[in-house]
Amino acid sequence: MEHRLANSLIMTVNEKKFIESALLSDIRVDGRRPFDYRNLTIRFGSEDGSAEVQLGQTQVIGFVTGQLSQPYRDRPNEGSFAIYTEFSPMADPSFEPGRPGETAIELGRIVDRGLRESRAVDTESLCVIAGKLVWSIRIDLHIIDNGGNLVDAANIAALAALSTFRRPECTLGGEDGQELIVHPPDEREPLSLILHHFPVAVTFGFIGKENTVVIDPTHYEEAVMGGSMTATLNTNGDVCAIQKAGGDAVSQTVIMQCLRIASVKAGDITSKIKDAVESYNTQRSLRKIKRHNPDQQGSSDVAKRHMERLTVGSDQSGIASQFNEHDKTNKRNSTLKGFSGGPASWDPYSKGVDGDALRTSLASRVAPVDKQKEESSQVNPETKSNPKSSETNSIALTHEVGLERKQSKSLKDAVKPKHKRRNKSNAS
Amino acid sequence: MEAKPSNLVDQLVVPGDVILDLSNMANQTLKLSGGLRQDGDSICVMKAGKLRFMKPNKYWVESSQKRYVPSAGDNVLGVVVDTKPENFLVDIKGPALAFLPVLSFEGGTRRNIPKFEVGTLLYVSVVSANPGMNPELSCMDVNGKAAEYGVLKEEGYMFESSTGLARSLLSSPPHPVLEGLGKKLSFEIAVGINGRFWVNALQSSTVILVGNAIQKSESLSLVQQKIYLEKLLKSIQL
Repeated sequence: MEHRLANSLIMTVNEKKFIESALLSDIRVDGRRPFDYRNLTIRFGSEDGSAEVQLGQTQVIGFVTGQLSQPYRDRPNEGSFAIYTEFSPMADPSFEPGRPGETAIELGRIVDRGLRESRAVDTESLCVIAGKLVWSIRIDLHIIDNGGNLVDAANIAALAALSTFRRPECTLGGEDGQELIVHPPDEREPLSLILHHFPVAVTFGFIGKENTVVIDPTHYEEAVMGGSMTATLNTNGDVCAIQKAGGDAVSQTVIMQCLRIASVKAGDITSKIKDAVESYNTQRSLRKIKRHNPDQQGSSDVAKRHMERLTVGSDQSGIASQFNEHDKTNKRNSTLKGFSGGPASWDPYSKGVDGDALRTSLASRVAPVDKQKEESSQVNPETKSNPKSSETNSIALTHEVGLERKQSKSLKDAVKPKHKRRNKSNAS
Repeated sequence: MEAKPSNLVDQLVVPGDVILDLSNMANQTLKLSGGLRQDGDSICVMKAGKLRFMKPNKYWVESSQKRYVPSAGDNVLGVVVDTKPENFLVDIKGPALAFLPVLSFEGGTRRNIPKFEVGTLLYVSVVSANPGMNPELSCMDVNGKAAEYGVLKEEGYMFESSTGLARSLLSSPPHPVLEGLGKKLSFEIAVGINGRFWVNALQSSTVILVGNAIQKSESLSLVQQKIYLEKLLKSIQL
């Protein structure tokens, strides 16, 4: 019994009274006003699709990974995604290892509903071969530190990780044009996911009897609040989801006021996520410039390992992963075709890629995509990709805008790439 | 024969450091306190922190943690979590809940046992803390008087800190931020060596200001603390 007592947060009577009385003068214990968010920092890992979000003291890590699998029978043209949450015991003394508890499941449900019901993730673009092979995306959310308001932080982590995730490009090729080729990342630039909009979750806590509302509660405020509500909205003004599970009754005017405030906050958070993703993408493309012609043997090993991992272990006949032996000399030049829709607003030289050619080729399952032309080693293409902010029309594949520029060789070019291969073999 | 103090006194030491070699010191008694261990002929450090020495022969390592290890004689802030017929169960941020006997109050008899509800904040002293056993507390000093122990008013707010910050708040010379704020604002503060301090003032904003200022000044050096204090007082126009 003692052990259980020691695990839960022990609040004093003083703290409860003080939080309520301080709110009457519109001030919170950490000095914020009732509708202020804590400091939000978004960092990315070395792999594509991993993001770490810090909201005050709360820390959440999100990982996105993809795998080829069979689609659901009733949706043969769509890929799928699933969210898994893990509440690490190091985050809070009341988190136990093992099966997720009630709050963990509720958090996973809120994030999932925000992404799925609003159709933020374009699942049709994840289809490779209709009815047979689609990409299934897995989002893992790990809670590292519980400082309150896990839902918002987890949602931002999921969005940030989804924005930077890249999946390998798949084409149909081989001798009869029926075999699936999954291109390794050093051969063809991996593609981003299409996100139509960013559903941002904003959590409100209701403290005291006068229904004082606070936004982004800390874990002390969470222990004291009588009820909470999470509203998921995007910058277009759509309410994607609302979650109010039990707790104190709240009047309609208060709810409408909360939704109005939430839409303002959603705009702030969306712009922060987009800025962070954009700087990550520029850094990523800068890293690529340093690469040079990879070693022939080394890259083939890498690619083979990559193929084995991606091999679909099903009984499907006629579908096999195959290693493409072409174009090993200048892999980096295969940047033109793997890029996102929508021109970057800041880049005057960006061109859209003809998605039509790729789309028709996949739809008819006949002709493989044109192989990349070898280009002279003088040209160092610089790839820049823009975030998935702009809405794209229904597209079967995602592309990024590629940009090629001639650059004079600098000392950076002479530096041998040391970690390039490790990075690419890890990307999935 | 006086012991020559180790030349690592008042410096940062890490586990594994040898602070004294006993082979060339004979007929001396040394008192070793927390964080030190005798390993044959040498005294080794077990805990990272600052080595401290007090004449004539006491050595110990001072470090700052978020959790508290109870030891007898400390004054701590405890929160009541349960009531039993014989004891109150009080949380003092240690590995085990502490027992506060219901009679350990000034003039306490079976007839006037105080009624504490769950969540009451108390200022208590640790009477005994043996490893493996629950620590024992008391609301009286050695003479049996209440002194400053007892329930803290149901106002104010309790902030968490590390044990190092709590020690520096209680030390003399006083903590610069605490002293500076005390000259300009009026508030009352109770510091427990277990890493908790309680602040009370007439206005909630004062409480929040003092509490957050003290928490934020923990990682600053003395000079930085003075600068921080100046900026803070200027920004609230005092």
